[in-house]
Amino acid sequence: MTRPAEDRTVLDAVRRGDQRSLEELYRRHSPRLYALLLRMLRETADAEEVLQETFVDAWRRAGEYSVSRGSVEAWLITIARSRAIDRIRNRGARLRLVKQSEQLATTDAPQPEPPDVHAQTRLRKALGTLPPEQRRALELAYWDGMSQSEISRETGDPLGTVKTRVRLGLQRLAELLAG
Amino acid sequence: MTHQDFLDQVDAYALGALEPGEARTLEQHLASEGPHPLCEAALARARETVATLAADLKPVSPPPRVWEGIARAIAGGEPVPRAPAAPSTPAPAREAVKALRPIPAWTYSIAAAALVILVLGGINIREAHRSAEMARASAAECKKDLAEARIDVLRKDDALQLLQEPGTQLVSLKPSPPGPAPGAPGTGVVLFNPRGRALFVGKSFQAQATGDYELWIIRDKPIAAGQLKPGPDGRVFSEVRPDVLTGGRPAAFAVSVEPKGGERDAPKGPIILTGAVAAP
Repeated sequence: MTRPAEDRTVLDAVRRGDQRSLEELYRRHSPRLYALLLRMLRETADAEEVLQETFVDAWRRAGEYSVSRGSVEAWLITIARSRAIDRIRNRGARLRLVKQSEQLATTDAPQPEPPDVHAQTRLRKALGTLPPEQRRALELAYWDGMSQSEISRETGDPLGTVKTRVRLGLQRLAELLAG
Repeated sequence: MTHQDFLDQVDAYALGALEPGEARTLEQHLASEGPHPLCEAALARARETVATLAADLKPVSPPPRVWEGIARAIAGGEPVPRAPAAPSTPAPAREAVKALRPIPAWTYSIAAAALVILVLGGINIREAHRSAEMARASAAECKKDLAEARIDVLRKDDALQLLQEPGTQLVSLKPSPPGPAPGAPGTGVVLFNPRGRALFVGKSFQAQATGDYELWIIRDKPIAAGQLKPGPDGRVFSEVRPDVLTGGRPAAFAVSVEPKGGERDAPKGPIILTGAVAAP
């Protein structure tokens, strides 16, 4: 059984109310989700809270998951990112003023696990082939939780241009990663 | 929305780069009578690509307290927010999250740490008891401060959210008459949204020994909009009563000092702050 198929089996059990299966889902996906949330939110406490929300959400809405709309991992990332974006937008300008370098400044920053080097290499290669403006638009949306309107304000580019960059950038990335 | 409209926006939707209203339109399209095989396939592809972007990150194991919080929440031991209808619609759930956030270990460890230091130093037991009591009191004080700080953050978030809503304007309240007034009134601002919400935020308000601060909405006549209760630090956060915001756009907001218990009909005490609402 492939990992996505295993995930679906585990989620089926979660849907039936099996808490141990939720714990299994957490064991499988929380390290990547936590890394994602730390990068997006830049605060350990916020990342922990959103990670909690994500799995409580997954527990409650397991019945809504549809395989036709993506894998379980993509579904969990969607939940986590939408909650992180909600938090970032609520912080608004306040966060962006204090946003520091890409490194976490917290002294108790958790230690990373060994990375999936193959996936990283493939992604970096794919990102490297995107035109810089498309890449920048994707990064602002992905890591900073900016809407297209906010990216337009941030970069000074017309909204229509930003929309095109986001669409073409993600589509190009999908082609490169699939190839 | 047509299928083509959906396909044009699905990448931005999967990235979370749409405005909430735009995202809802896409969700409504998917929820409408289908089937939508092309749209769902495009969404799946976009979500997988977005998920792949996280592959560049080194996984990080969260601390055990995160799972413990989840386990408590799903067992019903903690209040947890109802989930929003769809995953990509941002939905604030901070209240319950605050309930899930563990109290920092340092607040509990102060008393224990004090005891260890005392024992190592050879101080007698009675002294140790007294010091431990003090440490416990200190820890309790820290927890109280922490709780207040959390409330403060929630209030600020609330104000910030209102400020970001379309149509919200800031009504700055200034001393009336101009210049320092008796009782040293603070400064205040009303965050007013014509769609029926307003917040008063003030600072440097002194507690009144014999009276209460009352907020007024001025239309053709003053309408009492609620008492303002300053905290120990002189700050005031007060939600304006929604029922008084429904009678049309106010001309101004004002603050008066009224006898204890406030005043319902018209200001009887001195009006200390006023601010006009700008025309739309």
